[in-house]
Amino acid sequence: MVAIEREHAPATTAASADAIPLRLRRGSGSPRQVFALTLIGAIVLALFASRDLTSWLNRFDDGPIIAPLQHVATEWDDAMATLGLVAPHEGLRLAIHRLLDWQWSDRR
Amino acid sequence: MLFPTSGFLLFFLVVAAAMMLLETRFEAKKAVLVLASYYFYAQWDWRFCFLLAFSSALSYGAGRLIGATADQGRRRLVLGIAITLHLGLLGVFKYLDFFVLSANRLAALLGLSHELPFFEVLLPVGISFFTFHGISYITDVYRGDVAVCRNPLDMALYMSFFPQLVAGPIVRAAYFLPQLARPSKEPIPIAPALILILGGLFKKVVIANYLATGLVDPVFAAPTSYGAPDLLLAVYGYAVQIYCDFSAYSDMAIALAALLGFRFPANFNQPYRAERLREFWQRWHISLSTWLRDYLYKPLGGNRHGRLKTYRNLMLTMLLGGIWHGAGWKFVAWGALHGGGLALERLVEPWLGRHSQTKAARVIATFILFHFVCLAWIFFRAEDFAVARLYIAGFGSGWTDGLQQAGPFMVALILIGMVGQFTPPALFERAAAALGRMPSWGLGATAGIVVAAINALGPEGVAPFIYFRF
Repeated sequence: MVAIEREHAPATTAASADAIPLRLRRGSGSPRQVFALTLIGAIVLALFASRDLTSWLNRFDDGPIIAPLQHVATEWDDAMATLGLVAPHEGLRLAIHRLLDWQWSDRR
Repeated sequence: MLFPTSGFLLFFLVVAAAMMLLETRFEAKKAVLVLASYYFYAQWDWRFCFLLAFSSALSYGAGRLIGATADQGRRRLVLGIAITLHLGLLGVFKYLDFFVLSANRLAALLGLSHELPFFEVLLPVGISFFTFHGISYITDVYRGDVAVCRNPLDMALYMSFFPQLVAGPIVRAAYFLPQLARPSKEPIPIAPALILILGGLFKKVVIANYLATGLVDPVFAAPTSYGAPDLLLAVYGYAVQIYCDFSAYSDMAIALAALLGFRFPANFNQPYRAERLREFWQRWHISLSTWLRDYLYKPLGGNRHGRLKTYRNLMLTMLLGGIWHGAGWKFVAWGALHGGGLALERLVEPWLGRHSQTKAARVIATFILFHFVCLAWIFFRAEDFAVARLYIAGFGSGWTDGLQQAGPFMVALILIGMVGQFTPPALFERAAAALGRMPSWGLGATAGIVVAAINALGPEGVAPFIYFRF
């Protein structure tokens, strides 16, 4: 006998509320915009976080492409330093190190 | 592959490009997402992918078998076998050595010299989460709460979708599978998603990471070396750290899913502002607490069979919830504290009520509950039961000792984390509305600058998320 596959209607009420409520979904985002902002975000990140590019590359497995990329990352960082774009990064690093070293006995 | 890494950014860029190119081809889009999810999972260990595929095939097959018959006995048999297999896998990979250790200790107590060997099984990251996904699907099919999934691709994506794969939120089949039936016509909520990602990065990279390395880890490693004020601030620090760590992952998972066109449920809602333990569990790891409620507490009888059985069911649910977090007696103790607390709360509810009546009573109730939750966190965070005992004993003296480890910056991070618990939700909506008026390039540039700033503020390297080990 061929069993009859039972189809059930999906539950009408979801188990939980949406994390992003409906009223915040009224914008007009598309996959194209998502790609564009991810790409632009990555480029801006490469501009302002060039000091860390080499250490990020170190986290990838060793491969034939990593060594030349390390060289490119170093040159890129030098170029960003010439343009003064590493200053915000270095300023923030310095500030956070001062905060970490801050002790109750310090008078600042 | 962790979310806050350059590797993940490149991975997501490729996925976003694929979603753009396949915008109108929904089946191809789902296939790419499955491939991407398996690639993401393989970054930990490619062998884990076989386990994930087996778990998905088991859920798919069991769902089809349950749906193929009206015979209640046969449906129950398939459900039982499938759940046993799911839990069996979880048991082997997560709890086998815990059982061996416990058996060896019991044998030593009984004076037996023979010891069972340890298996040292590698724990597959996220196994608890995809096991719960599988169990929820087949149980919902059995109960008639969700349609049988006929498309293996849909099941593969439900089980493996990379934003939630390794640390949740636990997304129910009834919530997610209908989203795979047809392409969503909703616009992508880019601005709220970006705020969740940027806020999540700040919580994880700055707050959680510094609290862990600067305060919590050193104090919990040697609690007897510190005075009571440091111990107290370290446990406050851990409360903030685990919230910022786990809610950050959930926020980013929700946002990534949203950017790919899918909805996820909320997983956190300012838990430390809760006045009652029951309310805490409605705000903390919501997807797990509702899962435990629907698939464990209610099947045990819930509150339908009198007071005593309600207390028993609460205790059993929280004990198992504790063990779900890890194989160790300290997690059992954590679960027992929460189970006992929930039972006690039920017992005194006729006198105290479900909510405090005055503002002062609300403040006092929130304060007491936060400290109860912190007490339970000591067991959760300590290396083992003995260290937890030493930690708690440390509160008995040394209150005049100065602060050695908890510097002003650590205290500031704790305060920032706690202030976040009491900010009005409207702030998020206002920020999302303001960002929503920007063009895509502006959003991308802003996000890039904020991520660069968070990266500069954060410590070197990226610590794994706490919930990966569960």
